[in-house]
Amino acid sequence: MIVCSRCSKENQDHYKFCLGCGAELPRQSSKPRSFSAPTPPGGTPSQGRTTNAPQVPQAQAGRAEALASAPQLELDPAPVEPARAKPVAVEDLLPPELAPLGEETSPCPHCGSQVPENFRFCHVCGDDLHAEASGEAFGDAPAERVSAPAVADAPQPAAARARLVLIQPDGSEGESFPLSGGRTLIGRGTGGIFANDAYLSPEHAEFRFEGDQLVVKDMESLNGVYIRIEPEVPIELFDGSIFRVGQEILRFEAPVAPDPAADGTQYMGSPHRGYLGRIALMIGRESTGNSYPIPPQGIHLGRERGDVVFPEDGYVSGLHCRVNSEVGHVFLTDVGSSNGTFVRVSNESYVPQGTFVLIGQQLFRAEY
Amino acid sequence: MEQARNYVCTECASAVPSGHKFCGACGAGVPNEAQTLETLFFGALQMPGKARLIVVRGDEAMGEGLSYLLQATEHVAGREADQIPFPSDNWLSPAHANFLYRGEKLVVRDEGSLNGVYIRIRGASPVQIGDHFMCGQQLFRIDATPKDTSGPEADQTHFYSSPRRPSAFRVTQVLEGGMDGIVCCAHEQSVQIGREDCDINFPDDVHMSPRHARVEMSGESLELVDENSQNGTYVRIRGERELSHGDYLFLGRNLLRVEVTA
Repeated sequence: MIVCSRCSKENQDHYKFCLGCGAELPRQSSKPRSFSAPTPPGGTPSQGRTTNAPQVPQAQAGRAEALASAPQLELDPAPVEPARAKPVAVEDLLPPELAPLGEETSPCPHCGSQVPENFRFCHVCGDDLHAEASGEAFGDAPAERVSAPAVADAPQPAAARARLVLIQPDGSEGESFPLSGGRTLIGRGTGGIFANDAYLSPEHAEFRFEGDQLVVKDMESLNGVYIRIEPEVPIELFDGSIFRVGQEILRFEAPVAPDPAADGTQYMGSPHRGYLGRIALMIGRESTGNSYPIPPQGIHLGRERGDVVFPEDGYVSGLHCRVNSEVGHVFLTDVGSSNGTFVRVSNESYVPQGTFVLIGQQLFRAEY
Repeated sequence: MEQARNYVCTECASAVPSGHKFCGACGAGVPNEAQTLETLFFGALQMPGKARLIVVRGDEAMGEGLSYLLQATEHVAGREADQIPFPSDNWLSPAHANFLYRGEKLVVRDEGSLNGVYIRIRGASPVQIGDHFMCGQQLFRIDATPKDTSGPEADQTHFYSSPRRPSAFRVTQVLEGGMDGIVCCAHEQSVQIGREDCDINFPDDVHMSPRHARVEMSGESLELVDENSQNGTYVRIRGERELSHGDYLFLGRNLLRVEVTA
């Protein structure tokens, strides 16, 4: 959390500008993040990491709970306070210098490789060790990782390997939903934060891991699962591809012409400018509303600018995305919209770390 | 007067030069009718001249400015028609339309053509769902708004659709080749078509006026209104339509003007 110095609004750590006043935020907050860091895979801390850990004063109640699961540390048998941990000024507790390169290693929580202690990222799989460990800014001493599994929020199931973090309408983070290493079915019927969403099918989607990758599968739900696409990364559209811009659900339709008449008469009509197909607004299960043919040079969609505008949809950016053609294929590209462009998953899709996933009425960020 | 010069005497079969009142050979009189004869066309013998069609813009092979006198009882126009042929326009069916007289009235009948016969409207014209019309180079169809299917599924899941605004009807652009192009749902009760600042805009269509035409729902009925456009708004006829002097028709790419002379 970064607190804006100008308007005091709380912003997420990856924000570059304040959501409240637009002021530029410091790039890397040196303040420790809250202790709601994700549980590492398997739910238990890596033992190797505790080897050169300095003893943490047991008076640090918030840490104690976390340390309780680190078997090599001796703990005061007195009951520890289970309350939510307060952020600790960890810098004060830790030796400021980093371990010399390559002298000490600890296993990567993802791939198990021995990684030098002063590496921030695993040199084998590229996993962000720091984010995994504590979420604190780079530069903390390795010993800090001892407290890594300090998950002091609501206790999570031991098997949780990833989580879906609810993004609330104001952009802040809400509850999170744990995903195990196995298959996790979510839907209106699975209860919890999904129970009251009338746009979710009873069995809506299933998450699972394939190696290190989280995968989501649409369980033939009515409204589907949408994944936010990266800005400026074109995604190919096929006949029937559905995507979402603000509140608008759009379908790409490849051009379909009727068979020519038997007597050789051609269908008369408006000049055909080599349209690549069209984009149709979905206003019902099978019914479309306004539709827009896509000329060879492509079209832009936005709230104010572009060839297709949605002036009444406040969730659409001024200029939001474009659909164009390259080497005979049609692509959708987000052009840096605020709320993103979401593509409906056809059957199943990988969900990279940090991806925004739209399920029913709710937006989540996948973290693992 | 060519014929009169060659008048042949009924008495002695000698040729009588024009202007003579009596035969030079036998002295028989030349009848008055023969002295005043004029050239007449065969068509005029069948029926007095009533109407003609003038090709204002059209078929390259046939040329523009051609006119067809409508002096028989039926005149078929089409790609393979004998009377009014447009052989190089593949938007015309082989037998596309028939111009015929019903009593004293000239009518045009669509002969079940693929693309239909369009007549320029004067001011406003009542239309209905399914009708086609033309503005500039663009062809449109008026469609009904699909039924609202936003009710929940059997398992009580609601369908998430784009925001839906009440719409009485919609206008769909029809592209050459038969594919649908732009679809515009009526915002309030009308859809405005033109070159700029309308519900559907065609900035590149030079035949389109800035505000060309609109389709409007008033009460339960639909109306197509031409907004004094430069090139007019044309509606596809259903079956048969009576024509009057000054009407304009589109048959495929050919624009015809109707002149009723009688």
